Amino acid sequence: MTTDEAKTIIFEVLGDIAPEVSPSEVDHALDLTEQLDLDSMDYLSWMLAINKATGIEIPQRDVSRFLTIDGAANYLVAHS
Amino acid sequence: MIEFRFPSLGADMDSGRLVGWLIAPGDVVHRGDIVAEVETDKGLVEIETWADGRVTQLLVEPSDDQIPVGTPLAIFEALEDDTAEAAPPVPTPDGGTSPQPSLPPPSRMHVPPPPPPAPMTPPVRHLAHQLGVDPSSITPRSDGTITREDVARQAERLGSGSKVSPLARRTATDLGVDLAQVESSRPDGLITADDVRAAAGTTPTQPDPTTSTQAEADSDAGADNRMAAMRHAISRSMSRSKREIPHYYLSTRIDLDAALRWLDRENEQRPLAQRLLPAALLLRATALALREVPELNGHWIDDEFRPGEAVHLGVAISLREGGLVAPGILDAEKLGLDETMVALRDLVTRARTWRIRSSEMSAPTMTVTNLGDRGVETVFPVIIPPQVAMVGFGKIVEEPVAVEGMLGIRPVVQATLAGDHRVTDGHRGGTLLSSIDRLLQEPQKL
Repeated sequence: MTTDEAKTIIFEVLGDIAPEVSPSEVDHALDLTEQLDLDSMDYLSWMLAINKATGIEIPQRDVSRFLTIDGAANYLVAHS
Repeated sequence: MIEFRFPSLGADMDSGRLVGWLIAPGDVVHRGDIVAEVETDKGLVEIETWADGRVTQLLVEPSDDQIPVGTPLAIFEALEDDTAEAAPPVPTPDGGTSPQPSLPPPSRMHVPPPPPPAPMTPPVRHLAHQLGVDPSSITPRSDGTITREDVARQAERLGSGSKVSPLARRTATDLGVDLAQVESSRPDGLITADDVRAAAGTTPTQPDPTTSTQAEADSDAGADNRMAAMRHAISRSMSRSKREIPHYYLSTRIDLDAALRWLDRENEQRPLAQRLLPAALLLRATALALREVPELNGHWIDDEFRPGEAVHLGVAISLREGGLVAPGILDAEKLGLDETMVALRDLVTRARTWRIRSSEMSAPTMTVTNLGDRGVETVFPVIIPPQVAMVGFGKIVEEPVAVEGMLGIRPVVQATLAGDHRVTDGHRGGTLLSSIDRLLQEPQKL
């Protein structure tokens, strides 16, 4: 998986949780939950959707890697 | 004969609009089945039947008219024997006719109907969507139509082949559970919603994307009206609360060190789909504590307190587009921690796609508001009439705390209670917060 492919998946599933958000409005290096006002349930649902789309399991210790789009994309690339 | 009436979904609701039927004459319905969708000022609500029976007549057709609460909507006849339980809808001579005007029978058409999609009435299409059945996978009848029975049969084929209650099928769609993986807990092999929920606890779950897509389309269509109506409902309910309920407020700081350490250890062992959020612990502890202080769990109706028979724990859920709803987790005191988490996730997902059920809207006996995620440290709740108390949890923050003579940094949460002075005093209210605190110190027992 390339970084671009990872980001495509990340934004696709994000659309189910925050449909009004367009990728260009999001700073890929900043905390996603703060930018998009996601609560912990949204955040969990988002990771679950990524898990379902990619088959990549996200252990609890790695959850913090998903706080930014860049972090999430790098994680998916490294674990695909 | 059973008269199915338009249910009240809350003390402040006097009417609603019938959007569509999910049943047709001849269908057998069971308590808890979703039979219709109505639009109220609390949003789109799925209404359930509280009686078992066979549908003999639908009295009201979907329209834009406001229907007063209590209006008879349909007639059911009582089931003669229990063997009819869980039987699929029985076709009748007019089986599949819809309460809505449909296309004229194809035989009367001079021009052959266009190629598929085969004619389906909106409720049938809705049912297909609900059951996750692709209409194009169904072979139409000789007259070119697709009826409820056809959809149900196709859904049955797609399922595991075992008997599945309609509610179970719906729950499976909601929770993203593959029915083939669900085992029945009943001797007759019927898969119930409880079985699906149990399976959800051990199966990766995810809201069905097709459902949210449909809900998005729905919410786009009437979003502005819905938001205005919801704001109006909140205004009415909260004005009444502030006018009528003599609130008292209590607050206490709860040390969450033990709870969150336990939670971290648990979550490290669990796959993503089974992980717990702190909110599940807070809700579970509140439900258990309410059993100890039953005066805070119930309704104030006709100048007297009526204790709740169970703890139906309301959860205030904010919507992305603004506004909030506070549907209930039914029988919350009977759910274990994992079940509470599953119920919470299900409720939040459905609230945010406008798919709350009537029983969940009207049931809450006490509500929790949890602005804890990213919000403020302390919340002072406004009680939702006719309830008599509300618990608030703020953001979990790290604070210096003195424990056994030593100063340490620990995660804490500010828990507040708004109580109705007509029913309780601060002393009893304080007992609830103390109980919640005590229960959270032993998270493994929750």
